[in-house]
Amino acid sequence: METVRTDVLVVGAGPAGSMTAKWAAKSGAKVLMIEKRQEIGSPVRCGEGMSKDWLQEVGIVPGKWINVEVEGARIYSPSEKCLEINEKHAGNEVGYVVERDGFDKQLAIDAANAGVDIWLKTSATGILRENGHVVGVKAKRFGEPLEIRAKVTVGADGFESQVGRWAGLPTNLQLRDMDTCLQYRMTNVDSDVRYCDFYLGSCAPGGYVWIFPKAEGLANVGIGVQVSKVKSPADAKSYLDRWIEKHPGYAKGKKIDMVGGGVSISAPMKQTVTDGFLLVGDAARMIDPLTGGGIANGCIAGKIAGEVSARAVAAGDASKEVLAEYDRGWRARFEEKLYRNWLAKEKLCSLSDETFDKVVDALEGVKLEKLTVHNILKAVHVKYPEVTREFEAFL
Amino acid sequence: MPPSKRSLHIESSGQLCIYCGACVGICPLNCIYLDETRITFDENVCTRCEICVKACPVGAIAIG
Repeated sequence: METVRTDVLVVGAGPAGSMTAKWAAKSGAKVLMIEKRQEIGSPVRCGEGMSKDWLQEVGIVPGKWINVEVEGARIYSPSEKCLEINEKHAGNEVGYVVERDGFDKQLAIDAANAGVDIWLKTSATGILRENGHVVGVKAKRFGEPLEIRAKVTVGADGFESQVGRWAGLPTNLQLRDMDTCLQYRMTNVDSDVRYCDFYLGSCAPGGYVWIFPKAEGLANVGIGVQVSKVKSPADAKSYLDRWIEKHPGYAKGKKIDMVGGGVSISAPMKQTVTDGFLLVGDAARMIDPLTGGGIANGCIAGKIAGEVSARAVAAGDASKEVLAEYDRGWRARFEEKLYRNWLAKEKLCSLSDETFDKVVDALEGVKLEKLTVHNILKAVHVKYPEVTREFEAFL
Repeated sequence: MPPSKRSLHIESSGQLCIYCGACVGICPLNCIYLDETRITFDENVCTRCEICVKACPVGAIAIG
């Protein structure tokens, strides 16, 4: 069997993988990134809404992959009272609706330009270990088995990560830790290109319905439902179809595409590195449990992962003690927010439609300096103190 | 019938399945495999826990 050697091996060419690969190469390592599919970025499995204030930090230049730059978000309560959040208040939660396949390809191009080698149609089929250290993967390239040996192996294989499990990291999810998602791309709908819309409450138990505008009359219309709240098979589809039926501006539309997938909504993982191995992006459960967004955190962590991997290669030591710098790095950057948003999500999942309505009603017309859980609760407290009683931990 | 004797059926012809991988990610025993447009599971490892049935957004998995 053929054996190839590299410094850093990245499994999966999504945003987190490309970002890790690029920064490892820029930091001096020899990098190979493998992708099981024949095309990077396709098929798209994403709502395609993305915040934007982090792009510069990781060296991404806005490009043709942007469909729409929205001005704000509109959050609808179950009785469809609307809370409008403009860019200034929402901070990093408002931004672009993107062409994910184009975005992913651009990041792969950036990685290639940094010197990364990229192999398509190459899937990891198992992990290689020596003395307990991960030393690469068994793989198939165009169906041919081979061994890829690396000083650092990076699992960037997404929500259904295999390599993370093989490496023995605790990626397992409970039913309550995942939303099952379905989305149609619809044309001839009454979406508004200025806003991303979110509908909360019993229309999407443990999740929300989203409308992300792609162009005039064209939008991604999707839903996430917490798996622990699913009562019968295909609930995600039933809830979404029911929502569309009830909204004439969407019921008249035509579906041109359909995508599905799982989104983790768990608390942050306890461990993301082991000897010779680290996990990044959706595979490392870095998705924001409140918004369901994973691109920003995946890319931010990817940059840290790439830099730390290259340093480990240069030092000739990729033990978990050395790679722990990555674990500490991403935690310092966004673990607290992940944890806070997880707490907020847990609470939101338990609210009745009536309470949701009160919260949104209380916020109508209130000018918030910045949209934080704390500020929202303070505003709600003024009008409905009984609602905020349950949230005292946040205040 | 004991749970292990019931059979899991993943509709894998694409009539329902959209190959999204939601079942793969949630399977506690890591016994569901997705290979572009082919989805399979290991009958010997599967305990028929039905978690994948709930995770599937389109209802392509059934246990009978």
